[in-house]
Amino acid sequence: MTSSDEGGSRGGIEPDATATAAVSALGALARRLAAAERLEPPRRDAELDAIVATAALVLDAQAASIALHDPATDRLRFVAAAGPSAGEVVGLEIDATAGIAGFAFGSGQPLAVTDVSADPRFDRTVAEATGYVPGTLLAVPLADAAGVIGVLEVLDRRDGSFTMHDLDVAAAFANQATVAVRASRVGRDAATVLRSTLVAIARETAPTTGRDAVATPLDDEAIDLLVRAALADLRIDADTEADASIWALADRLARLRDVDPELVAVAGEWLDVLLRRRAPAGGRSRTGRR
Amino acid sequence: MTGPLPAWSEPFASDRRDALGRAAPLGRLDRAAVFGTADGTGVTVAIVDSGVDVDHPAVGGRLVGRHRVEFDGLDPTVVDDPTATDPVGHGTACAGIIHGLAPGAELLSIRVLGADNRGKGEAVAAAVDWAIERGVHVVNLSLSSRSDALFGTFHDLADRAYFANTLLVCAANNVPGPSYPSLFASVVSVAAHDVADPEVWFYNPAPPVEFGAYGVDVDVAWRDGGRIRATGNSFAAPHIAGLAARLRSAHPAASPFEIKALLAATADTPT
Repeated sequence: MTSSDEGGSRGGIEPDATATAAVSALGALARRLAAAERLEPPRRDAELDAIVATAALVLDAQAASIALHDPATDRLRFVAAAGPSAGEVVGLEIDATAGIAGFAFGSGQPLAVTDVSADPRFDRTVAEATGYVPGTLLAVPLADAAGVIGVLEVLDRRDGSFTMHDLDVAAAFANQATVAVRASRVGRDAATVLRSTLVAIARETAPTTGRDAVATPLDDEAIDLLVRAALADLRIDADTEADASIWALADRLARLRDVDPELVAVAGEWLDVLLRRRAPAGGRSRTGRR
Repeated sequence: MTGPLPAWSEPFASDRRDALGRAAPLGRLDRAAVFGTADGTGVTVAIVDSGVDVDHPAVGGRLVGRHRVEFDGLDPTVVDDPTATDPVGHGTACAGIIHGLAPGAELLSIRVLGADNRGKGEAVAAAVDWAIERGVHVVNLSLSSRSDALFGTFHDLADRAYFANTLLVCAANNVPGPSYPSLFASVVSVAAHDVADPEVWFYNPAPPVEFGAYGVDVDVAWRDGGRIRATGNSFAAPHIAGLAARLRSAHPAASPFEIKALLAATADTPT
């Protein structure tokens, strides 16, 4: 009936106790991180918003937007926009193979067109959804050596047609956006892996009966906060007791058999990184942080 | 990316063109004498792009073959596609420019962009390979691959094309980072200038981009029989492809380096 009965049956060293302590420590840690977490807005979209706003300003254009390719639907989805109808543009999806944006996306080649509003053949998907029909349009791929991930569009230059210099400048903004998106995807993919591992740990370690049932569980909220904290590179106060608990959790990770060994290894590394972040600054320089 | 903007069309900008002046080592050749009256007759130009609208008036009925790249798993093959059209308009724009400069040339379309593929580097490589195998004289590539994994593939193709007398004419890519095969020395790389004349071109003695051709606010053919004004290096490349087709027509045995030398020796003097 009690956990000590179960522990005794496994050899008398109460194997769940360490994990329970770790879970408890993680719960406490998660609560402490909550305040810092609230200070961290979703970075990627804010960065992309800033990029489109700056691109429109620098190129003296009415509007700009960024659409990212969604491999699941094979469509381009607008995630950031500045200018008239910006609110309506974000969230819109267009065919990834047609139109000026589709060409820039597919070919990786920047281009600009003029007088699109006068041409009935212009792809009007976005125009019809927003009521905003551009006269001139520039499209630059978001690309790096790993491929093309989306398109930056700049609409309606205030003075004449877009120039080759405008294409160069837009390409630089697109490059910046690509870096931001790639970084956020690494973070997001990492978050997915870490989360699934922690969920598996929570399932393994969740006490269901006895006095441990009242211990702080590694619940969804705690996992969320832990994942974000691990990836946001947050500075955490030193706490030797919690440090020991995290090491214990890392140790337990290594013993899990129903979790992919690679996931265990990756999660273990994150926990290690998290632990290092927890260490007092000491003599180690923290320059390079923002 | 550690340097400044690539800005590979910058050498051809109106306020920078003075720097293109050089002592032509072969002397400046008389353009009329070099080109003669050749109009591209006897020359085949392949357009590796979004397809070509066979009925567009700008193509003048010179599109003699339509093909596309198909993937069997990861293996790309070029297949006949006799009913293919151009869902974007870009390939038709290139074909129209080439036909305008070399009306006698036969045009082939190999579609690598569109509904069933994504302009994958592998598709572009398969299209170039196919064109070399068939002895196509000039290939217009207004697109490029940024994949480091395909560096070797494109390098081999560029070398094979060079020795097989297939001239690859490639648009430079303004996006930071490498792009293949446009950065290879054996191809003809092209960026845009803004002199509204299809027969004005400049040679840049400071590569990587060697030629500048009309590519700013160009009135081009577009999809569904229409036209549009467009800007980009991808509209500059077909101007050089058309001129190269005329040179091959005038000098059928000329190799890629000889065509390139003739283009350089007959280029406009910057003013």
